[in-house]
Amino acid sequence: MPREHTWRYLSTALFFGLIGLLIFWRAYSVQTGDQATAFLNQSEYFSRLLKTIYPPRGEIYDRNGNLLAGNRTVYEIGVDLASLKEQDPKAIALALSALVGSDYNRVLEILAQAKSQNLIYVVATDYVLPEKVDLLKSYNVNLPPEEDDSFLCSNDPALAALICRPHLARSYPERDLASNLLGFVTQDSNGNFGIEQQYQDLLAGQPENIWVPTDPNRVQELPQVPGGSSLVLTIDRQIQAMVEDILDEHIEKTASDSGTAIVMDPRTGEILAMTSTPRLDLNDYQEYVNIFTDSKPYNRAVGQIYEPGSIFKVVTMAAAIDLGLVTPETVYLDKGIFNFGGISIRNWNGQAWGEQTMLGCLQHSLNVCLAEVGSRVGQENFYRYVEAFGFGYPTGVDLFNEATGTVRTPDETGWYPADLATNTFGQGLAVTPMQMVMAVSAFINDGKMVIPHIVKAVVQDGSQYNLSPQYAGQPISEETAHTMAQMLTDSLEMESSKALVPGYRLAGKTGTAQIPTDNGTYDLNQTNTSFVGWGPVDDPRFIVFVWLERPETSIWASEVAAPLFADIVERLVVLMNIPPDAQRVVAQEN
Amino acid sequence: MLKRSRELIQAYQQAPWRRQMQVIGFIAAGLVAVSLVGALYLNITARAATAGRQVQNLQSDVADLEQKIEDLKTELAFIASVESMQQRAADLGFKPLSPNALTYLSVPEYQGRPSGAQLAPRAGAQFSAAARLPAEYTQSLFDWLSQLLGVLGGF
Repeated sequence: MPREHTWRYLSTALFFGLIGLLIFWRAYSVQTGDQATAFLNQSEYFSRLLKTIYPPRGEIYDRNGNLLAGNRTVYEIGVDLASLKEQDPKAIALALSALVGSDYNRVLEILAQAKSQNLIYVVATDYVLPEKVDLLKSYNVNLPPEEDDSFLCSNDPALAALICRPHLARSYPERDLASNLLGFVTQDSNGNFGIEQQYQDLLAGQPENIWVPTDPNRVQELPQVPGGSSLVLTIDRQIQAMVEDILDEHIEKTASDSGTAIVMDPRTGEILAMTSTPRLDLNDYQEYVNIFTDSKPYNRAVGQIYEPGSIFKVVTMAAAIDLGLVTPETVYLDKGIFNFGGISIRNWNGQAWGEQTMLGCLQHSLNVCLAEVGSRVGQENFYRYVEAFGFGYPTGVDLFNEATGTVRTPDETGWYPADLATNTFGQGLAVTPMQMVMAVSAFINDGKMVIPHIVKAVVQDGSQYNLSPQYAGQPISEETAHTMAQMLTDSLEMESSKALVPGYRLAGKTGTAQIPTDNGTYDLNQTNTSFVGWGPVDDPRFIVFVWLERPETSIWASEVAAPLFADIVERLVVLMNIPPDAQRVVAQEN
Repeated sequence: MLKRSRELIQAYQQAPWRRQMQVIGFIAAGLVAVSLVGALYLNITARAATAGRQVQNLQSDVADLEQKIEDLKTELAFIASVESMQQRAADLGFKPLSPNALTYLSVPEYQGRPSGAQLAPRAGAQFSAAARLPAEYTQSLFDWLSQLLGVLGGF
């Protein structure tokens, strides 16, 4: 190497060396200087993304595993404002109003507002069904449709800023079936009414926020966010559909204001069907405000109280028998009037029925007889039995917003001795249909009341937890329960009731109750008609309760509620595979 | 031997370019070694990054598939809903059965349809752990080395 070139090499080496030193110095100063924290935060910010994992909401099945509430994909449609061109907002608003049903002006307003706030992304609409998104993806007929798995909403260049993000939303395949007990989920993911609200925490699961590294070298396993628990209900969807159909048919036939029906397994408390009117297509729950006007209860079976009328006489009679004051054969002379507490009690037809046994009193539903029996029971005992039967308290059924009913007792202000007389035949107190069903279950279960329930099993983390029947105490003795069951069977048969179903022995009681008015009197022309019964008597498999409110064709439960009960039972025995008594007994003997 | 050494020293003194070539040779060898390590590192890093990206894609696929499963379950339930099945039955000429039109047969020891759906094993059953990412995708080189040394140390 010529010596005269040495300085060139040295100066070049010095130059690059200095550059290297400068780079090192700068790197050092960046990492230790005042801005170091800011740079560190920035690098940290871009090194990962915050992702919220929403577990799918738990599903709801009927007792046979048919899906009643599931999840389906819907889309959030947003706008990437960074790629939005000047003419695009109008095209987007037009497309969304034409295909998705959004309001044209509202979309323009959202976009203008987002632009003025320098946002980079804004949600134009949400919960859009896949069918509508498909229309957007093939919006421009001259271009091939956008790929299904693409985030781009449309194949039209003017709609290039539209972003479609899929997510799950609640869906109800059976539409309005069992809507009164299922409830619904709104767009804020909250359950409203029924099972959806009662089990909100269990069904919804817990969303989890996680940081996902953007550097693929630092990829981590995503945590397994447990989904919401699924529920298996005690409802049988076939029985539910049948009960709803028959109830609707009878409401129309009797021109009633509304109807309620409950079918329960009396041994286990499992509710096989429960419905009331009106009902709601749960996929279109926004209609709730138009359907449930004037504070209509969402589920009358547990949420509305009413004066039960004669159906309540079973409680009075059970108390008297349990105390040993009467037997079914005890004779009573009905004079057609009974004065008690300053009021006169009369029978439903205003007539005297003469000599009657207690069975006859129940069979003919005599107010005078039951009021006198109640007076012999005495106020203290009577209200003790009323309380023991669960009236005035929630039954504990696992449905949201259960009403407790109204029972005024002697130690409360506003109670008068006359109340005892009217309460004995179901006036002056208010109960829910569910309470009535639970009370009657005591006659079937040797005096023990079973707590009604609607959830049969919970499926959580791959395991199924089956729930057991629970009992709510024993208001009457086993012997009294058997006596009452026999009396209600005999009275139904002797009355030749329209509730009877050929081939099956049934027990039950009608209830016709006048409706109290706002001024404290009773409307003589309008009634609540109800019927509660069970069968087959020798091996009870169902309790059926029906209630028609303000029927117009007849004011008597024996004319309108009893046939409704019979129609339901006639179909129920087929769906539950219950052979007629004669065949069943022969089969059991063999 | 001594003579041979002297000859070599003399040769280098006579031709200093040989010494320079030797230095260049060492530097070149160092560069080649660094390049080899760098290439190996880049190769492994690139493969790890590709695998990581694949994992991310698969995680996304899992989420998509879970969503599709939910969709299909619900779609099937719509198709098999009571209303739909009743309509199909009616179209095929079926009518609801009345108790009078029904004949029951007694089948000895038949217990009837089991009551209640069993959607999952009863609580208390043991389950195998869910599939997890293999260690190759999550452990660093040092983790792997310490694991290896641990295994070797065990012998």
